[in-house]
Amino acid sequence: MSWRTAAASAFLVAGAGLELLATLGLCALRDAYDRLHCVALAGLGAPLIAIAIVFRESFSLIGDKALLVGAMLLLSGPVLVHATLRSLLIRERGDWRDVAEDGEGGDAGTGLWMERGER
Amino acid sequence: MNEWEIAAVALTAALPACLAVCLLSPPAHGLVALELGGVLASTILMLLAEGFHRQPFIDLAVVLAPLSLISSLLFARLMERHLD
Repeated sequence: MSWRTAAASAFLVAGAGLELLATLGLCALRDAYDRLHCVALAGLGAPLIAIAIVFRESFSLIGDKALLVGAMLLLSGPVLVHATLRSLLIRERGDWRDVAEDGEGGDAGTGLWMERGER
Repeated sequence: MNEWEIAAVALTAALPACLAVCLLSPPAHGLVALELGGVLASTILMLLAEGFHRQPFIDLAVVLAPLSLISSLLFARLMERHLD
């Protein structure tokens, strides 16, 4: 087994494992805000698989496009999480900025200000 | 069956969990599951392209990834006030 095959296998296992872990988290967590973390986690797994493909194929057509898809998914993860969080806060409270400004429950930087419970 | 196809099958087995959350949970949870399902589907297409050495699968992934992002952003925007 060459070092490229070993590296491709390692990245493949890491990427697929992260995505499976994200799905497990989606099933295990009960709060919509908690479940949002799983989307970001899955977004980290996709570029690892793209890197695995590049290790296997080098910079071929499939390798280049895999890198493109991996970069898109990596960048879209935080965007999706932010947009969804904003949407859910507006849905609950009317304005997402109210949460940080009205001082409901403490530190906005840590996320501890969010009221926990069934959503 | 090589390791790429095995990984694709494993991730495909995770898709029904996202579908179940979409169908059985409130809309906010369903949106999160939809976003995760889009990421999973794009990754599965990448794995199939490498496993079968078929380029059309990676082209589908290139199209699906931005469409999934756009559709999720659209759903998030609609969910702010219009979807119950």
